[in-house]
Amino acid sequence: MITKNDIDIFISKIPPAPKTLKDTFGLLQIGDLVKAAKLAESDLALKSYLKNLVNKPIYGFKNEVSDISQIFGILGVSLSQQAVYNYMTSLLSPDEWLLFKLNAASFYELQAQLSKKWEAILTYLKVEDKDIYAAISLLPSSIIVSEALFCKSIDDVTLLRTTKALDYNTILTRLCGIGLFDICEKIAHKWEMNEIIPQIIHSASGVRPSDDEEINKLGKWMHLLLFFELSQPQFIEAGLNDFVDFQVDYVSDIYDEFATLMEIK
Amino acid sequence: MKAVVKNGVAVFSPQGFLDANSTSAFLNIEDVTAAENLKADMILVSLKKVIFFNRNGLDAFVKLFYKIRKKNHAIVGFCDYDDKKYHAIKKFYKGEINFSLFKTLDIAYLFSTGFKNQNKKILLYSSDKSQRTTMAIELHDGGHNPIVAQSQEEYESKKKNTDAYDYIIDSTFLGDTGDKVATRVTGNAIIYTVSGFLDAQINERFNLLYHQNSLNVGFRLFIFDAYKVVSMNVHALNFFSKLSSSAAEYNATICFVGLSFEKTQIEFKETLEDAGILFYEQMDDILKNKELLNELGASSAANIKNKRALNKQTVKELPSFIDAAIITIEMMTNSKAIKKSAEIHNLTIDIKKGKIASSIGYYGELDGMVILVFPVTIAKKACELLIGESTDDIELILDTLAELVNIVGGKIKTLLSEHNIKVDITLPRTYQDVDSLLEVVGDKKGVQVDLSFDDDEFLFFLTR
Repeated sequence: MITKNDIDIFISKIPPAPKTLKDTFGLLQIGDLVKAAKLAESDLALKSYLKNLVNKPIYGFKNEVSDISQIFGILGVSLSQQAVYNYMTSLLSPDEWLLFKLNAASFYELQAQLSKKWEAILTYLKVEDKDIYAAISLLPSSIIVSEALFCKSIDDVTLLRTTKALDYNTILTRLCGIGLFDICEKIAHKWEMNEIIPQIIHSASGVRPSDDEEINKLGKWMHLLLFFELSQPQFIEAGLNDFVDFQVDYVSDIYDEFATLMEIK
Repeated sequence: MKAVVKNGVAVFSPQGFLDANSTSAFLNIEDVTAAENLKADMILVSLKKVIFFNRNGLDAFVKLFYKIRKKNHAIVGFCDYDDKKYHAIKKFYKGEINFSLFKTLDIAYLFSTGFKNQNKKILLYSSDKSQRTTMAIELHDGGHNPIVAQSQEEYESKKKNTDAYDYIIDSTFLGDTGDKVATRVTGNAIIYTVSGFLDAQINERFNLLYHQNSLNVGFRLFIFDAYKVVSMNVHALNFFSKLSSSAAEYNATICFVGLSFEKTQIEFKETLEDAGILFYEQMDDILKNKELLNELGASSAANIKNKRALNKQTVKELPSFIDAAIITIEMMTNSKAIKKSAEIHNLTIDIKKGKIASSIGYYGELDGMVILVFPVTIAKKACELLIGESTDDIELILDTLAELVNIVGGKIKTLLSEHNIKVDITLPRTYQDVDSLLEVVGDKKGVQVDLSFDDDEFLFFLTR
């Protein structure tokens, strides 16, 4: 169905971060929002993506925000970096989704929902590290990886999953000895993301907790946030609810706080 | 969301948060229709991976339960929950629970009609006395040994001795139990349990498809455990007469055990005997009499009716059958198959030692049986994807092999449908040794394809 060779080919095809983005990140790292915005303006695809993202209802702006310097100014350094990473992840998404019933709009919506709620969580946890803000951007890449690897074997996977409730991460791990989140880690390395980001993502998988308590805590919140989003009707209908296994016990100690924060009644 | 079906139990496994919006997204019209059409004895929703639910979230599933129960009389309910979730559901529905609640899926299996492992020692407790009794009766009827704790204290005390019980049941509630005819397999005989008043409803309660599948895969002795039958009317009489006539085509035998004619016309017995049905006082009269078992056909599972030659259409579709097997095994082992030879002759297995087998029948616009013979090593490898680890537990391997052959069957169905040929597949059957397989196949001819997967020999045989 899928071999290690298929995974290697997929990873080899992931483009490195374009120079404009690298330079934008560099400027965002030193807090130079003005220069970063100026540079980002030159990348029309990035500009269009950012405009689309921040004008979604969840960002709550009354009037349309169209100017990049305005966008970066409103978002601040951490969220601007997060938004640019979201754009990079979106570059990996396919033109046409086959395995999951998604499209560009619904995928961007998922990114926006995760990003804004992750921001609320980090504010609640009093975390200010901008790399931790950016970590959420890598999470949806696990969906893109599943789509890319399994889209050619939809019939086989469907047949297999009518016999046994196996998630894509388990199938991939059992077949190739490498999981979805290991591939996300490779993407992070290729994009030269801070080391902490893949560590949080692994912890957020729910199947490979970290030895570092702080990373683990963030991983739990991210895992629960992911399934909160994947329980929304549009993502259930997209077939995402069970694309990876939800680890209820792993997140049980933070559930009450999460429910309060997300106003779940 | 589609249900996973195993041993006649279909399970939906939603994850995360269940509220009114999400539940309706879990069950679209297509899913509801598919669930209604499932030939499962039990349809459950697992709450194992649900962290939050409210009444509205459960209601959509409960509505589905009612639809399914009305249509196919299956047991329906929720399973895999902790005490907190159990009490929440009981609180939501108070006195109006018509569905069942099983603390774990394993507990649910104990109450399913197709559960193969009888005679389990089960400690049972419910604070509701009528529930304790109902569950004990159901378990006893299923061939288990329930030990009922009469109080919480007694339960807590007995529970400490975990080695004394195969299963411990608490936080479980039996709603309307399925009124399907319970089925179990003993050796090469299939035992159906019927009770109460037998009337026209028997048509709906009896799983005719399962019976037909059993005939197709070679079962020849069918016993109706009728100790608890009060009486039957002419509709039931007709049903059993027809069943016996169709069984005769396969040279199969139908017996009734323990049926009393106190409240049933004695003429009915004569009519049924004329139709070929045999009557016995006790189950042991049959099961402990080897000579009689031989005579009734339970010692051999050979399929008499299907002793037919391969036809042109089957040969034409042969690549689809072989592809289905190869693609599935390649998918499960992640290795490449090499076809070594393909010939028409009797099933020939040179080295029998260390091999296990599995078969699945198909019927409809084409009919026949696909047999796969594996060395245990390749069977173990093929099953690792489903089990998740290497195992030497032969029962587990055979059980998983049945799932694998079910996948092959599903693939055959798909590939043939691409050629506009509609078939249904039977339940898979596994064989712990090659001799028991050869007994079933007998001297039937078929297409034998020898394959190798990473130097492991593997055999595909297609016959009718």
